[in-house]
Amino acid sequence: MARRLVVLRCLRRWHARVGITATLFFLVLAGTGVGLNHGDDLRLDGRHVHFAWLARWYGRPADAPLDAFRSGRHELAAANGRWSLDGRVFGERLPQPVGLAELPDLFVVASRAALYVYRDDGVLVERMEQVALPGMPLQAVASAGGTFFLKTASGTFASADAMSWRRTEALEISWSRPVPLSGTAQRRYAAALLPGISVQRLLLDLHSGRFFGRFGTLFVDLLAALLAVLSLIGGWLFFRPRHRRERQ
Amino acid sequence: MKRRDSLGVLLALALCTRAPAHADVYQSPESFIGEVFGQRVSPKVLWLTKLMQAQASAILGHPPAQLRQRYWREGGRSVWILEETGKEELIGAGFVVAHQQIDHVRVLAYRESRGQEVRQPAFLRQFKGARLARGASLDRDIDGIAGATLSVAAMERMARLALYFDASSRN
Repeated sequence: MARRLVVLRCLRRWHARVGITATLFFLVLAGTGVGLNHGDDLRLDGRHVHFAWLARWYGRPADAPLDAFRSGRHELAAANGRWSLDGRVFGERLPQPVGLAELPDLFVVASRAALYVYRDDGVLVERMEQVALPGMPLQAVASAGGTFFLKTASGTFASADAMSWRRTEALEISWSRPVPLSGTAQRRYAAALLPGISVQRLLLDLHSGRFFGRFGTLFVDLLAALLAVLSLIGGWLFFRPRHRRERQ
Repeated sequence: MKRRDSLGVLLALALCTRAPAHADVYQSPESFIGEVFGQRVSPKVLWLTKLMQAQASAILGHPPAQLRQRYWREGGRSVWILEETGKEELIGAGFVVAHQQIDHVRVLAYRESRGQEVRQPAFLRQFKGARLARGASLDRDIDGIAGATLSVAAMERMARLALYFDASSRN
């Protein structure tokens, strides 16, 4: 009887110790589990977090832009699939721009595969792709005298509204070119344009333990085994005294 | 019975089709437009007013990506090339609208890793004849596909938007 009591006390003590130790991990598992369960509703795959240490942890190279495009009122730097347009950072998988040009009310950013037309306040008016462009790939963009110019593999085209384009033979066009950034500007842009990690992926990796590599997964397996043992011991501790009382 | 058969076909497709490892472009927009009209048609532009932006936001569940929408119209039919995110990636689709109803739909590009069954004719046929009903919803239910719920929802949103844009472009 005394031995049984000792075993019972020992079990209770270890149940509490293991439970307290594992609480933090269980809370992480529960929190990430709930988050993943509602990931689609919360659109977690479309949200990203940007930290230098996290990018390093995931092996994502954080490139610093070496140059930027400047027009009269606008400045564009790009790195890691992100753009900084007049200080506003956006995008996660945007292409590398090949030029920036502006008119009084509009400005355009060209990549090899698309032309992004923006209102002067930075609101996207249209992303024009092959179906709406006179030629592909885009090589350069410019503006002069109230007209946009587009240099493509099939020739040079001009448009006053970035909607309809006509072929032009104009020769003296000053194409938009990147200008080198100072070291300070490079560091500033590098900090702003850090590569992002999707929140959904982060939650999934934390939940499965993959965030900490192969041993993280094994650790989560161990936690799962611990949870099973705790449940069994807890159940046994809960029911055992009642059986004794029932017998008495 | 017919509905059950089509569900069975969709389920079989969902189970049998392998997920692509990368983006799949099935048809270019130019080729789709050429196929619909059989000749070169100049694009038109629909500018989204504040009211239209609000309505488009209600349909999509987020603000429209751009302020002007390109489309093609000839002989009472209009073509709308739209893009919408399924789960993580954009789905590109072409919608042909005639007499305020969907004439046919084609998935042009699919970039998600799963759910590409939405491009199968058995699924897309459900949109034929669909009109806008009250609340800018479709006048019919579109049967889902197991494992492609978000892609199906994106296709439905784009169909509603194409019908709304078509109606707006005629006003």
